[in-house]
Amino acid sequence: MLYIKCPHCGMRPQTEFSYGGDASVKRPELNKDISDQEWDDFVYNRKSLRGKHLELWQHISGCRQWIKVERDTSTHEIFRTFRADEEVA
Amino acid sequence: MSSLVSALAYVHTTGQFGDYEGKNENDLLKISENKNLLIVQVVQYKNSTLPFQSIDIDGLKLKNEPLSVVSNNDTRFLWNGPKNWLLVSNKKDLIKSILDKFKDTDFAVTDLSHSRAIIEIEGQDVKEVLKKGCPFNFDSLEKNKSINSTYNGIALTIDMLDDNPNKVRLFALRSFGESLYHSITDASLEYGFNSV
Repeated sequence: MLYIKCPHCGMRPQTEFSYGGDASVKRPELNKDISDQEWDDFVYNRKSLRGKHLELWQHISGCRQWIKVERDTSTHEIFRTFRADEEVA
Repeated sequence: MSSLVSALAYVHTTGQFGDYEGKNENDLLKISENKNLLIVQVVQYKNSTLPFQSIDIDGLKLKNEPLSVVSNNDTRFLWNGPKNWLLVSNKKDLIKSILDKFKDTDFAVTDLSHSRAIIEIEGQDVKEVLKKGCPFNFDSLEKNKSINSTYNGIALTIDMLDDNPNKVRLFALRSFGESLYHSITDASLEYGFNSV
């Protein structure tokens, strides 16, 4: 079984979590003029990387918090996890 | 006047079940339904800066420490998540002081008393029963710790009441209570259990 270390609760099985998409996507700034292409990129377009990837997960059956997970999409190896409000260097 | 029907009223029957023959009754698992508890969820708003540590309910103070349970004989505060607690108590009238002390400007207080099914299991094989449906490492679950997890896909809260012998209290959504009860009793058949 794949285990994910929740920054709040500790090591938990993946079945307690729900995948929430790419964590590197930033919402365009409020009141800033942006093009349709930029909106399109924010809402739909994803890179679907092979390799290290920063993802959002929600600990849905645990503390219900959103977290960031650095995971290798080809090996499923999890390197680090962060709170949702933590900046990742 | 309407009478209250407990969450497991239609499935919980007393008696001995499973592989109980030839075993000392004291060594069997004990499974019971716990009714009439006050269950209140308290969540502090993200923008609230009020120091929750100073709030005293039934002589207990909240602790924002993962998996921790603060307790006395009647009341238990279970950590559910960051600034999120489940208050469980035998004292039904505690709701007045909870509503009084957790002001709605800083806290969301929700009475969940009638929306949970509560199963208590006691005995040396409690953790073995839990391991059958929940992938959490129960060897690390000590007395006065609680976790949220799933049991055969059913979301539940597990509160470790005691460790000598092991005693846990399981909270599930009331509508999932009967399914959880069947899962737990199925898993307990191997050890034999006394339904009380």
